[in-house]
Amino acid sequence: MDDGEMIAPPLKSMKNLRFEPRHSGFLFVFTSLIVSLLLLLGAPFADAQGSDFSPLKEDSGALLRLLGACQRTYEEELDQIPSKNRKDFLEVYNERWENVKAKFDKQEIYTSVVAQEYLDALVAEITKANPVLRGHPFRCYFSRSGIPNASYIGEGVILFNMGLFQRLDNESEAAWVLCHEISHFLLRHQENGIAKYVATINSEEVQAELHKIKGSEYRKRERLQSLVKGMTFDSRRHSRDHEAQADSMGVELLRNTPYALSGALTALALLDKIDADSLNMAVCLPQLFNSKDYPFQKRWLAKEEGLLGGHAHIGKEGIEDSLKTHPDCLLRMRVLTPVINRIAATGSATFVVDEKRFAELQRIFRYEGIEYAYVSKAYSQSLFLTMDLLRKRPADAYLVAQVGRLLNELYLAQKAHMLSRVTDLPSPEYPANYNLLLQFIQNLYMEDLAAISFYYLDQYHPQLDHYSAFKNAYDQSVRSMKP
Amino acid sequence: MLTRKTILSRLFLAAVLFSQPFRSLHAQSRLSIDKVYSAYLRNSGSILEKGRIKGYFFLYQSDKIDRHTNEYTLQILDENLNKVKNIKFEDSKKLSLLESAYNGSTISFLFKNEDNKTLDMKIYDFDGKMKYAYSREFDKKTDDLMKQYETLHTDEGMNKNVFDLGDEGFVSVLPMREGKARTYEVDFYSSQTKKQWTYVPSDDAEKYAFAEYLGCTDSLIILEVMKRNHALSGDVTSHLVGINFVTKKKQFDIDNINDTKIMVPSSVTPMDGTGNIMVMGSFFEKGDNIVKDFSKGLAIYEISTAGKVLTKTYNTWAGDFARYLPTNSKGKIDEVGFLYIHKLIRTPDHKLFVVGEGYKRQANAAGIALAVLARGNTPMGVTKIVVTDMVIMEFDDKYKVRNATIYDKTNNTAIASNISDYNSQHLLANYLKMTGAFDYEFTTGDEGNANFAVCYSDWVRSSDYKGQTFNSIRYNGKKFTTDKIELKSKASTLRVFPAKAGSIMILEYYKKDKRLDFRLEKLG
Repeated sequence: MDDGEMIAPPLKSMKNLRFEPRHSGFLFVFTSLIVSLLLLLGAPFADAQGSDFSPLKEDSGALLRLLGACQRTYEEELDQIPSKNRKDFLEVYNERWENVKAKFDKQEIYTSVVAQEYLDALVAEITKANPVLRGHPFRCYFSRSGIPNASYIGEGVILFNMGLFQRLDNESEAAWVLCHEISHFLLRHQENGIAKYVATINSEEVQAELHKIKGSEYRKRERLQSLVKGMTFDSRRHSRDHEAQADSMGVELLRNTPYALSGALTALALLDKIDADSLNMAVCLPQLFNSKDYPFQKRWLAKEEGLLGGHAHIGKEGIEDSLKTHPDCLLRMRVLTPVINRIAATGSATFVVDEKRFAELQRIFRYEGIEYAYVSKAYSQSLFLTMDLLRKRPADAYLVAQVGRLLNELYLAQKAHMLSRVTDLPSPEYPANYNLLLQFIQNLYMEDLAAISFYYLDQYHPQLDHYSAFKNAYDQSVRSMKP
Repeated sequence: MLTRKTILSRLFLAAVLFSQPFRSLHAQSRLSIDKVYSAYLRNSGSILEKGRIKGYFFLYQSDKIDRHTNEYTLQILDENLNKVKNIKFEDSKKLSLLESAYNGSTISFLFKNEDNKTLDMKIYDFDGKMKYAYSREFDKKTDDLMKQYETLHTDEGMNKNVFDLGDEGFVSVLPMREGKARTYEVDFYSSQTKKQWTYVPSDDAEKYAFAEYLGCTDSLIILEVMKRNHALSGDVTSHLVGINFVTKKKQFDIDNINDTKIMVPSSVTPMDGTGNIMVMGSFFEKGDNIVKDFSKGLAIYEISTAGKVLTKTYNTWAGDFARYLPTNSKGKIDEVGFLYIHKLIRTPDHKLFVVGEGYKRQANAAGIALAVLARGNTPMGVTKIVVTDMVIMEFDDKYKVRNATIYDKTNNTAIASNISDYNSQHLLANYLKMTGAFDYEFTTGDEGNANFAVCYSDWVRSSDYKGQTFNSIRYNGKKFTTDKIELKSKASTLRVFPAKAGSIMILEYYKKDKRLDFRLEKLG
């Protein structure tokens, strides 16, 4: 289904979550010192003006209009489905459509006019330079997901996640990401994959073997396993062939634009390191949540020795790379480097559309990612992103209020025995520091959550009371503290 | 009694082991993978280390190999429900997984193989490779054990017969029966070398003996053994038996015979720093019949690893407990009835908490009516036994009771047959324990028990809610709070497992979707 994606899709499982907080060690120490000083002084303050961020109210009407356009593409696609094995095709296409629709229904598509205009301008630079793209009905949108990813999801829709955009260094990298995804669309990777799968599963040989297996009593699993080994289409998220093809075509598309081709290589280098985990949770948590009246407790970070040597661990066989959000980046760079070196590219610009707007969107996207994780009830993810940004902006009222709001929600979820629905559990698939945050949440009882939230917010009360998000969070924490 | 306790042991799961790499197709003459292949969940349970949850096991029948052999996949999850290992092996089609334990470096599984009539202990290492396999035959002698497994677990999800001995390996305590003789055996399984030995009690009195595992130290397996010595009076005597698994010999056998008071041990806990062991149980006056008479109260002993009794403290129902609970001299508490002790919990600040549950005999209206109609010829008793409230008692560092609190719950019927008409309170309590009729489920806590939660089920009939609930009484180091989870669910079956400290694991099976969901929830 996700064959056309540039990278691992975040569709169902939060296990794909990867973070890449890009801050220098010096900056971290520096901001940590500021936070510590503020805490020591006992009167930390936030921006008296509140925050220069307020979450965008999603435009439901716009979402409906965009969805309508996608639906028309979907229906046109259905009309073109071959009659042979039509039912099987319909089933797969319907599944893909449901996934596309969910992106709109869950308001993952970002409807900011300014952001969309910027993205349209970026895409226009690519289509203007590549006449071959004219007449192809694809649409690019920003996704509010914090996961560093971009994907072609079907029905001509390309999603550029905020989590990826905010980490890029310049427009040329963004342009290459778009060229790569447009290539998946042009090369019909998903559609070809579906067709191949439907043909394979319905082939006489496979059906004959399936009937034989069904009729047999013994060793069904073994025989099935050997049968499916020969099938080329499956749901593996990283189809290396398709990635290589999309890389090649992406370079061809990018070379015609004013953008520097080196953007492809620097973007891949960045993707290779994008899972690096630099938020030191063991330092950050006690700094944020230690108060005189409710001191930070060691047991909040305690991790029990788990089964078979710690928490479940992943096998050794080259798994480290495959766990990355973006595997094979170094290999892809090695393949692309000589190609790029040979090409006489037309452009060398790192910015064409608007450098300031690029930076401004990156800034806003950091907040929007936090907000989207919150409204999606992915509270542990939202808390991680909030703490990460809070390191750089310790006085930001939105972030301060968000910490309280999340702790309050965790309290309410635990009270309703629904904590498992709003927070991830520690897992070997997550970065160590995110795991420590998850362990921290697991170790807290209701009274801890209530008190941590209250004493954290109380430091900013009443200075931030004029900021409604803060006031609401503070009032809720006061209510939670009452027996 | 409760639907939870009749969880089906065989769940049907479609293609659980195939992680959906294939689309399902429904053309009539066409086949898809999920129409060709299914896996069956045979058994599931908890993996424990020193009574603490370390993970879960799920045994699937993943294939049939031939008429007598199946392929199995043993899926191991950690305490956070992450998949740790899938272990594939072939074995008899009549295989079931009875219990599992973990000792920090290896994991043991006790299988019952009905084809070979063997109990197989398999020990796996960190990489999921089998290190050692031990096998012993089962026959008529172990019928009682098999019956025990066929009935319901007493403490839901907790082990009954297999326990870890730290780095040394594992132990199982098996009830044995031959003719009229009832005895027991203790099997030791090494996880360090291929070594297994069996302790068989040798004295005459132990030809009629019931043993229950109470705990272990770094060298001792500690059992409570009830013996009937026909050579003497024929009375039942209670013993605290320590078996040294280094020397393979009995280290001590404390019987109180020469004492003025007799203790029937029910719980032991190692004492930090001293190497000594704390033992708790009911006590009786010398000459009392420990089966028929009422206990006088609760006793707490400190003993050394050599078996020397260092201190003895007694708390009487009529004196000490009466200050905190409305008890009579027979140990019966108003409205609560008699108390069965489930758990002894020692906290880092040297407080001792004891968890009890009430049970009492009541008139059985239906039984009486039936007895009248059938002129007494009915298996239904004219009385019934109900399990009543939970009681938590607090003891100070001198082991004297300092507080006791009754936690109200529904009086749930535990026995409605004529068993309730004729038996003593002790036999009834043992019967309730054996058949899993108490509502107490388990206690979960962090290491050292600074925080712990006592969990029990209940059946609520109120105007707001009618159905099963799961309840906890949680101690946070300062005070107790209670929590209740209403367990009404759209799932076909629902089961609550013990989980890591402060949490429970809820497993729900949706028959229509052939879906098994499990999640961890924190107790509030």
